[in-house]
Amino acid sequence: MGTENSNRPNFPFRPAVTPFATPRSTTPFTSSGSIVGSEASAFRPAPPTASQFPTPPISSGSLVGLEHPSFGPPLPDRSNEPVRPSSLPPSYGLPTAGPFQRFQTPQFPSAVQVPPGPPPLTSLVGQPVAPSPSRPPGGPISSSPVSLLPQSQMPSIPMGSPPQSMKVGQSYTNVSPPSKDSIFYPHRPHLQSSLPPPPPMGPSYMAAGGNFQPTVPGHPNTQSDSAIYAPPVQAVPLSSQQGGYGPAASLAPFSSPQRGYVPTSPVVTPAGLYSRDQMQHTVIAPPMGVSQGLAEDFSSLSLGSVPGSFDTGLDPETLPRPLAGDVEPNSLAAMYPMNCSSRYIRLTTCGIPNSQSLASRWHLPLGAVVCPLAEAPDGEEVPIVNFATTGIIRCRRCRTYVNPYVTFTDSGRKWRCNICSLLNDVPGEYFAHLDASGRRVDLDERPELTKGSVELIAPAEYMVRPPMPPLYFFLIDVSISAIKSGMLEVVAQTIKSCLDKLPGFPRTQIGFITYDSTIHFYNMKSSLMQPQMMVISDLDDIFVPLPDDLLVNLSESRNVVDAFLDSFPSMFQDNMNVESAFGPALKAAFMVMGQLGGKLLIFQNTLPSLGAGRLRLRDDARIYGTDREHTLRIPEDPFYKQMAADFTKYQVAVNVYVFSDKYTDIASLGTLAKYTGGQVYYYPSFQSAIHKDKLRHELTRDLTRETAWESVMRIRCGKGVRFTSYHGNFMLRSTDLLALPAVDCDKAYATQLSLEETLLTMQTVYFQVALLYTSSSGERRIRVHTAAAPVVTNLGEMYRLADTGAIVSLFSRLAIEKTLSHKLEEARNAIQLRIVKALREYRNLYAVQHRLAGRMIYPESLKFLPLYGLALCKSTALRGGYADALLDDRCAAGYTMMALPVKKLLKLLYPHLVRIDDYLIKTSQIDEFGIVSKRLRLTAESLDTRGLYIYDDGFRFIIWFGRSLSPDISRNLLGEDFAANFSKVNLSVQDNEMSRKLMRILEKFRATDPSYYQFCHLTSPAECIIYREYVWLVTNHDLADRQSMFQLSEIVEHIGSSSTRCYMLRGFKVFLLMISFVNHWIPSRRRSERKTLSRTLSNDLAPV
Amino acid sequence: MGDLWAWLIFFFTLIALLIILVYQLMCLADLEFDYINPYDSASKINKVVLPEFITQGVLCFLFLVTGHWVMSLLSVPYLYYNVRLYTRRQHLVDVTEIFNLLNWEKKQRLFKLGYVIFLLFMSLFWMIFNALEDDDHSL
Repeated sequence: MGTENSNRPNFPFRPAVTPFATPRSTTPFTSSGSIVGSEASAFRPAPPTASQFPTPPISSGSLVGLEHPSFGPPLPDRSNEPVRPSSLPPSYGLPTAGPFQRFQTPQFPSAVQVPPGPPPLTSLVGQPVAPSPSRPPGGPISSSPVSLLPQSQMPSIPMGSPPQSMKVGQSYTNVSPPSKDSIFYPHRPHLQSSLPPPPPMGPSYMAAGGNFQPTVPGHPNTQSDSAIYAPPVQAVPLSSQQGGYGPAASLAPFSSPQRGYVPTSPVVTPAGLYSRDQMQHTVIAPPMGVSQGLAEDFSSLSLGSVPGSFDTGLDPETLPRPLAGDVEPNSLAAMYPMNCSSRYIRLTTCGIPNSQSLASRWHLPLGAVVCPLAEAPDGEEVPIVNFATTGIIRCRRCRTYVNPYVTFTDSGRKWRCNICSLLNDVPGEYFAHLDASGRRVDLDERPELTKGSVELIAPAEYMVRPPMPPLYFFLIDVSISAIKSGMLEVVAQTIKSCLDKLPGFPRTQIGFITYDSTIHFYNMKSSLMQPQMMVISDLDDIFVPLPDDLLVNLSESRNVVDAFLDSFPSMFQDNMNVESAFGPALKAAFMVMGQLGGKLLIFQNTLPSLGAGRLRLRDDARIYGTDREHTLRIPEDPFYKQMAADFTKYQVAVNVYVFSDKYTDIASLGTLAKYTGGQVYYYPSFQSAIHKDKLRHELTRDLTRETAWESVMRIRCGKGVRFTSYHGNFMLRSTDLLALPAVDCDKAYATQLSLEETLLTMQTVYFQVALLYTSSSGERRIRVHTAAAPVVTNLGEMYRLADTGAIVSLFSRLAIEKTLSHKLEEARNAIQLRIVKALREYRNLYAVQHRLAGRMIYPESLKFLPLYGLALCKSTALRGGYADALLDDRCAAGYTMMALPVKKLLKLLYPHLVRIDDYLIKTSQIDEFGIVSKRLRLTAESLDTRGLYIYDDGFRFIIWFGRSLSPDISRNLLGEDFAANFSKVNLSVQDNEMSRKLMRILEKFRATDPSYYQFCHLTSPAECIIYREYVWLVTNHDLADRQSMFQLSEIVEHIGSSSTRCYMLRGFKVFLLMISFVNHWIPSRRRSERKTLSRTLSNDLAPV
Repeated sequence: MGDLWAWLIFFFTLIALLIILVYQLMCLADLEFDYINPYDSASKINKVVLPEFITQGVLCFLFLVTGHWVMSLLSVPYLYYNVRLYTRRQHLVDVTEIFNLLNWEKKQRLFKLGYVIFLLFMSLFWMIFNALEDDDHSL
């Protein structure tokens, strides 16, 4: 009986969820209390009833039976009789939404199909239920089963690729063979893996699911999905407080889009189960089947709590968290199997709107993120095609390359361009007969007609000059700070060690210039034994001595280069020069490289102080907050922009390495990298003893990774659609041609597109990315990626096909660009505003008909968007004001984020956090990676003071030593000085198993993300090395979030009742609040902090 | 008679201004249609930006010294805008961002063009008016 009681708080609220409950939310407490009572009584006999039915057609009965025991244990402490009745009223109000939404999901489409949709549907449902014998008397209660019914039926609205969902729906309702389902949704396993790992209660649900499965064999995926989803339902502290059950309801909807079988099943009241199921099939099925194609999936998050209570009513556990990292969208892979991989092109939404009015309702950016040279896993390399005999086949009009989507007609003599639909002739040598189905007979031998990504070998007409050799030129600052920090030595050693690995042997060319207040050239002619140094001190009129011997072929002059690299750190050992003639040196480098192009690596240690392009200290706190704030983030001297433009013109890519503990004006220096397709590496206060590995790794990667030289990129797309703006590190050579002197796998480019015509008539839009480049081996090649995306007619479909990763990537670039002309605050607000608008638009689609009061609804595809949006606002480039990040840090982060591929950006925004102390202590070798790869939520709750954690954002590791971590571990890992200041300890291998294990883990993590070297910061709660973030969070996050919350609260404007409004307002605030805890931890102060915050929140809401 | 000459000078100065603006617009249009690369386009435009500003300033000054202060007032906003651009160092076209700013640059020059045409008609009117008046006097 005790357990029964404890169950009650669980159950009652669900039945309470009546479809008709809308007006009833004001129902007096007492009456609802009594209803609950009667319900409870109706319930208790129920489980047996369920088990009496041998096997119901859908075994929710048995499931329910199982559920009871599993539900029981966690609850008793929470629910006691006195609390329950009072806790009900709110539960009445809110849950309305929960089942409603599930219920209505099917309805929406049917409403479209059959005009008077909603009412008939409910009435249909209602009728069958009414006669059901086991139904307890009483209006409200009778309605409750009604609401339940559609829930159990709801699973028939699974979402998949649009065309198929219809079939699936039918198969569902007819309970037809299961196999179909799994065929149609090959991508589901991914979804599944992307879901948050089950909270502790999970297993019991799983068990329930296991039983469930055999009876409804059709939905294995569904089932496991929801099994993972479902746990939060229970994990939610159902009513530790009154509002507590908001989250519960919130979670259920989560799963509902994902074919919410399990979550609904517990809801199914045992009584009358059997008859209801039958009714459902007979009555509801037909409309359902029809409506499948239009059905929409979304999730929602209930954010309600009782007004006036301090509790937030929201459990952070229930918030969606991207623990699986970036999940590449592959909904299109099934529809368009010949598309290139999403590594190369990611559209922000795969559903292209068919009209401008539709596009204007999509408030998120519409565009794509392209990473043309993304690293392909083994076995998926891009095939190389040589059209030596026929010439490259392209459309006459739009110059599209031949691709899998072109169609051959006229028995193979013509082909129709898929982008401009022009009929082209097939050249004689390329001709092949068509078979009966219209396929070319030689299709299998032609990768360009079967694969979305191919690499074509370009003939001579694609060259303006002979393919250039890979060329590396080094411009190294040798002023006193460079010597003191030890940078010179590390750079010299690293370059020397990379000489053998430089791509393009034996054509590779190399050259060096060093500079302080003068410029030093090095003659490295192969006939010399030692390099000759020439010093130029006239900075106003640079002239290059021996222009032919400064840039030499590496393989010929290898000895001289080696000798130079060996000697040059010692050469400047005693240099006391503090000046830096950076500008003139840059000009000199340009004069040397201008003939050939190539890669220029700049190692700069101080603020350029002499000659053209000298910069001044301009990081001034007073400018922040004024209209001139943005000027700090743009180059001060037009010299740099001009130089960057010239470099690009002559195919020089610039990578800037900055080492300085003082202000170096990265805003100006980074411009060089930005417009030449380069990259900025920033090593604040570089000390070779500490940061040597990082520099070595990143320089090595820069020198040895496969690079595409002197390239240009163009993205073509179908008629009616046009790419309007491009964002990233490149320079536009014409309206749609990106000049990229050097490209590699770590660079991605974002672009936005717009509709040119008011209405698109075609069904599919094709995109083709073409990158024309010179490979390191000296071959001119064209890499072609082709993708197709369907044109959709409704907004819901656009949302369904949205890709959070691409959206966030585009958002970050837009925001960073905005900081160059506006205040930081405006950039952040712009993002938040767009997210809010998008969610509101989505809400408008569904909320009214579903009466989803008090909850935030969002499409499944965008469930992480608010989180990433907030994380973005808190990223180094965008956060806070003057004191929250050094100007240089900010600019460097901005330049880096402008070039990052989607996956790395998402990791940076929502880093990995793993706990490793258990693994370190355990002696067994098994499960080497299993434990370690289990990611934790980034909340303060995840951090246990007894634990040891690694926080990995792709750029650094933070190793967090809990306060109560056993000293043994610290000693083992850090050696005898473990008690010293953590920030001063350098992590190195100690002679014991535990330390070696830790190193192995770190190596493994680094291996997964080789683009950057993750430098280890050690920290403990007491002395936080991420002090800046910490302070920032404590001081500023309240303010910043308050603003975003007010924006979000606009979403609720349309909701009439003030009480609902209150829920919503609170809800959104709290939602963002919780998210704000995510990205940075507040180790010790969190609790009190949160308390005060919620107090301020409730004060805000006092009038309501 | 001197007034007529003055108006003739104004007229030709305005024509010169007009030509400079049309030239810049042509460069921008060429750039948009990919007949010219951004480097050439930017350098061509930047070459004539200062002459344009100076011509306009001189014109404004001439209006003033010849006592046509209404015309002078009319051309002051243009002058002010140019000076503002110059002091903010935004008067030159930025070759790296030229495509992103293309629309703005074009719009700005089209407005200027309209302005100059308006001034041109004004001065044409005054010129003819003066000529007729002179004629009347001579009769």
